[in-house]
Amino acid sequence: MTDQAPKSQELREGLEGLALKVVMLEEGDLPGLGAFLTHLEKIQAILPADHGPEVALLFQQLEDVGNKLILQEIAPVARAQELLSQGVSLLLTWARESTFPGESEPWKVYHRGAQELGLMKAAAAPAQAEPEAEPEPAAAMESQIWEDPELVANFIAEAREHLEGIESGLVRVEQAPTDLQAINAVFRPFHTVKGVAGFLNLPQIQELSHEVESLLDEARSGRLQITAPVIDLILAGVDRLKDMLDDLQEALSDHRSLQRFDLQDIKEMVKKLQQQGVPAEAPKLAEILEPQEEIAAPDMDQALKELQAQEKTPPPAEIQVEAKKAPPPNAAPPPVEQVKESKRAPVAPPAPAAPAAPAAAAEGKAASDAQLPATVKVDISKVDNLVNLMGELVIAQSQVRQNPNLLTISDPKLERDLAQVSRITSELQMISMSMRMVPIGQTLRKMVRLVRDLSRKSKKTVELHLEGEDTEIDRNMVEAIYDPLVHLVRNAVDHGLETPKERQAQGKPPEGHVWLRAYHKGGNVVIDIEEDGRGLDRDRILAKAQERGLVQPGEQLNPTQIDHLIFEPGFSTAETITDISGRGVGMDVVRLTIERLQGKIEINSRPQQGTRFTLRMPLTMAIIDGLVVKVGKERYILPAVAVRETLRPAASDYFTVQGQGEIIKVRSQLIPLLRLHRLFRTGNGDIPPTEALVMVVEHEGKQRGLLVDDILGKQEVVIKSLGESFQKIKGLAGGTILGDGRVGLILDLGGIFALAQG
Amino acid sequence: MSQAARQIQQEASALHEKEGKYLTFTLAQEDYGLEILKVREIIGMMEITAVPQTPEYVKGVINLRGRVIPVIDLRLKFGLEAAEYGERTCIIVVEVQSEVGPVQMGVVVDSVSEVLNINGDDIEPAPSFGTRLKNQFILGIAKAKGTIKILLDIDRVLTSEEITGIDSLGG
Repeated sequence: MTDQAPKSQELREGLEGLALKVVMLEEGDLPGLGAFLTHLEKIQAILPADHGPEVALLFQQLEDVGNKLILQEIAPVARAQELLSQGVSLLLTWARESTFPGESEPWKVYHRGAQELGLMKAAAAPAQAEPEAEPEPAAAMESQIWEDPELVANFIAEAREHLEGIESGLVRVEQAPTDLQAINAVFRPFHTVKGVAGFLNLPQIQELSHEVESLLDEARSGRLQITAPVIDLILAGVDRLKDMLDDLQEALSDHRSLQRFDLQDIKEMVKKLQQQGVPAEAPKLAEILEPQEEIAAPDMDQALKELQAQEKTPPPAEIQVEAKKAPPPNAAPPPVEQVKESKRAPVAPPAPAAPAAPAAAAEGKAASDAQLPATVKVDISKVDNLVNLMGELVIAQSQVRQNPNLLTISDPKLERDLAQVSRITSELQMISMSMRMVPIGQTLRKMVRLVRDLSRKSKKTVELHLEGEDTEIDRNMVEAIYDPLVHLVRNAVDHGLETPKERQAQGKPPEGHVWLRAYHKGGNVVIDIEEDGRGLDRDRILAKAQERGLVQPGEQLNPTQIDHLIFEPGFSTAETITDISGRGVGMDVVRLTIERLQGKIEINSRPQQGTRFTLRMPLTMAIIDGLVVKVGKERYILPAVAVRETLRPAASDYFTVQGQGEIIKVRSQLIPLLRLHRLFRTGNGDIPPTEALVMVVEHEGKQRGLLVDDILGKQEVVIKSLGESFQKIKGLAGGTILGDGRVGLILDLGGIFALAQG
Repeated sequence: MSQAARQIQQEASALHEKEGKYLTFTLAQEDYGLEILKVREIIGMMEITAVPQTPEYVKGVINLRGRVIPVIDLRLKFGLEAAEYGERTCIIVVEVQSEVGPVQMGVVVDSVSEVLNINGDDIEPAPSFGTRLKNQFILGIAKAKGTIKILLDIDRVLTSEEITGIDSLGG
C-alpha cells in the first residue's frame, strides 16, 4: 500500500486534470479533444497493474468516444461529452476509494448513456447493475449538507424554479406529445436537478429525478409514447420532489435530518410504463429515429421538419451553452464553485457525475433564461434597504432644494449643480426600483398547472393563454398577488366556463378559453383574467344580495354596481358556491388583498360571452402616484389612480338632501359629497362647496366627491407604514414624507367611504 | 392573572431590579423618570402631522429620519392641563415593547432635566391612590435630591390600545 501511495497520488492528479479538460471541452473543439486523448494515454501508462476489467473498459470507451468526437462519428455531441465527464468522474471515485463503484448509481447512469451511444455492444453488460443500490448512508449525507447550507439553499430555490418550469412545460408536451423540443424542455430541468442533487449528495432527490428523467429519456428517444398516465406520473414525481424540497428546506433551517420518502410507487409505475413502451431490444442511436417517424407518420411534413430542425440544431439551449462555455465568473456562479470544490475536497463523496453537474446546471440555466445576461444573486433585504434609502435621498434632496436660504441665492453654477444632483438621484431611484422588478411570467406559469388540474377535475376542456410574461412587477408584489390570482383563475375555470356540452348547446366551441394577460398601462401593472364562459348572472346576484340585505328592495343599481356586489363580504357564503355561477366565494378577500396593494379590481362581464377581471396595481408597493391635497391645515395624499376629475362646483350644481346629505351634479351624474374636514375633524367643516374643490374619486365602482381646500401638487410618494399603533384607523393607507420633511397621510378610499357611511 | 402575578412579582423581587440610570424630565412641575435603556434620543419640538380618529393625547406622527413614528403628549395622557409648546419642550424618542416587537415612539414633555443614577434603596412601590388615579403606569417612586421622581413604566403607557384609545375611537 505504502509504496503505491505516490503512484496513486499521481494517478489522482492526472484524473483531476482530465476532469478539468472534459469540463472545458467545447463542441468541435478539436485541440481540446486532442489534449484530452493525450492526457488519457498518459494516465493509462501509470495505471496500477491490478486495475479491474471495468476500469479497462472505461478507459477504452473514453478513448473511443474521444476519437469518435474528433471524427464526428457520434451524436448527439452534448450527450457524448456528458458521458465523458461521467466516465472520468467514475474513474476519480475509483482512484480515491481504490475500489471500483461498480454498483453505484453513477455507474448505471454511465452505463445507460454508453448503451445509448452504441458503445456497449462489444462489452459484456455488467451484471451487477441489477439490485437497486442505496447510495450513501444517511449520516454521511447530512454532514455534507450542513457544510455548505448556502449552496443547498440555492439549490432549493433553483430546483423549485425548475419544477415550475417543468409543470408548464408538461402541458405543452401533453398538447404535442411528439414535439421533441417540448420534451427536451422538460427533460433538461430534471437532468439539472438530478445532477446538482447528486453533487450535493441528496440521494433521494437524485433518485427520484433520475427515475422521471429516465422515463422522459425514453420518450424523447421515441421509445415511449407520451400518454396521459405518463404525464400524470411525471406530475406526481414533481409533487413528490416538491415535498422533498420542502423537507430539505425545513431540515436545513431546523438542523434536522432528512425525512425518508417512499419512492416505491413511483418507481414501480415508471418501470411499468417503461416496459410497455420498450421494444424487445434497446435500439441503437441510428434506429431510434425510425420509431419517431412512425409516430409522426400521419403528419409526414411536420415530422421531417422536426427531424431536420433536430439534426441541424440539436437542442438549442445546448448550443447556447456551448457558446457560453468557460462562462464569465458570474454567469453561473454556483456551478463554477462546484467544479472547484469537487476538485479540492479530498473527502468529496463519490460524487455521482460531479463534473457533469456544472455542465448540467449551466445547461438548465441557459434553458430557463437564455437571453439573460450575467446576474448576481443578492439578498432581497439589501435591495429593499437600498430602495428605502433611495426614497429618503429623494426626500432629503427636495428638502435641500426647498430650503428658503437656498432660494435667496442666485448662482447659476449652484443651480446647475443642483439640477445635476437631482437628475442623478432620480436615475438612481429608477435603477434601484428596477432591481426589485421581476418578470411576472413565473407567477403566470404557475397557473398552467392549476388550470390543467382544474379542467380535469371539472371535466371541462380549457385552453389557457398567457400573454405578457415579460411584464415586470415588484418582487414583493408577486407574492402578494399570487393568492388572488389563484382564486380568480379557479373561479374562471370552475364557475365561469361551462361544460363542453353546455357550450356546444350555445353554439360555442366545446373548449373554453382562459386568458391571463399582464401589461403595463399608465404607470400601473394590469393583469386581466378573462374567460369566454357564461358571464355573471346579474338577476341572481341581485336576488341574492337583496336576500342578504345588501341591497334595499327599491334600490336602483347599474350593471357595474350589480357585478361589484360579489365583492361584498356578506355576499360570499358557502351555499352560493354552486348558485350564482359560483362567483363571490371569497371575492371580498381578493378585493381586500388588491386594495391593500393600492390596486383596483374591475369586472367586465357580458352574458354568455364571458367575464373579465382586471387587476390594476401600482408598479411597486413602495411608491404610488399621489395627489397632495390640503384640508384645513393638514395635507393628505390621494392615490392618483382613483381620482376621476377635479372641479369647483357651481352653486347650481350643489344640492342638499333633507339638509344633511350633500350631492353635486357632475354633468348628468349625481355624486354624493364627503367632507374630509368633518371626517378628519380639521379646518372649517362648513366651508361652502363653491369655495372648495371637489375631487371625484372612484372606488369599487362607487363614485364620491371629496371636498378639499386645495390641490398642492402631484408627486410620487414613498409609502411608509404608520406602524402597529394606527392599524385600526379607518381611512388611512399609510404615511409618506413630503418635500418639507413633514409626514403626509395617504388616504384609503375604501375606509373613507365606510367612515362616511356610518 | 398575569396582571396580578406581575404585581406580586414586582413587589416581591425588591425594587432593586429597578435600580439604574433614569432620564428625568418635568411635566407640570412634577418630576418623572424613564429608564435610560428605553430612550433612543431626545429631539426638539417639530411639526407634527395630526392623525384623525385618535385620542387627544396622540399628537400625530413625525418623520424621524425617514421613519414615521407616533408622538404622544404625556401631559394630556396623564390628564394634566395642556400647555403651549415652548423653547424647552422636547420629544423623547423611546423604544417600547409591543406585541409585534420593539416600536419607536415619541413622547412630548415639558423639559428634560438630567440622567440620574437611582439606588434600589431609594425606590418605593407606587402607592395606591384609590380609584381616583390609576397607578398602572408607575414603576415606583424614587427619592432623590430631596424630591421625588415618578418612575414610569413606559411600555404600559404606550401600548397600542392606549394609543389608538379603542373606546374613544369614534366612527
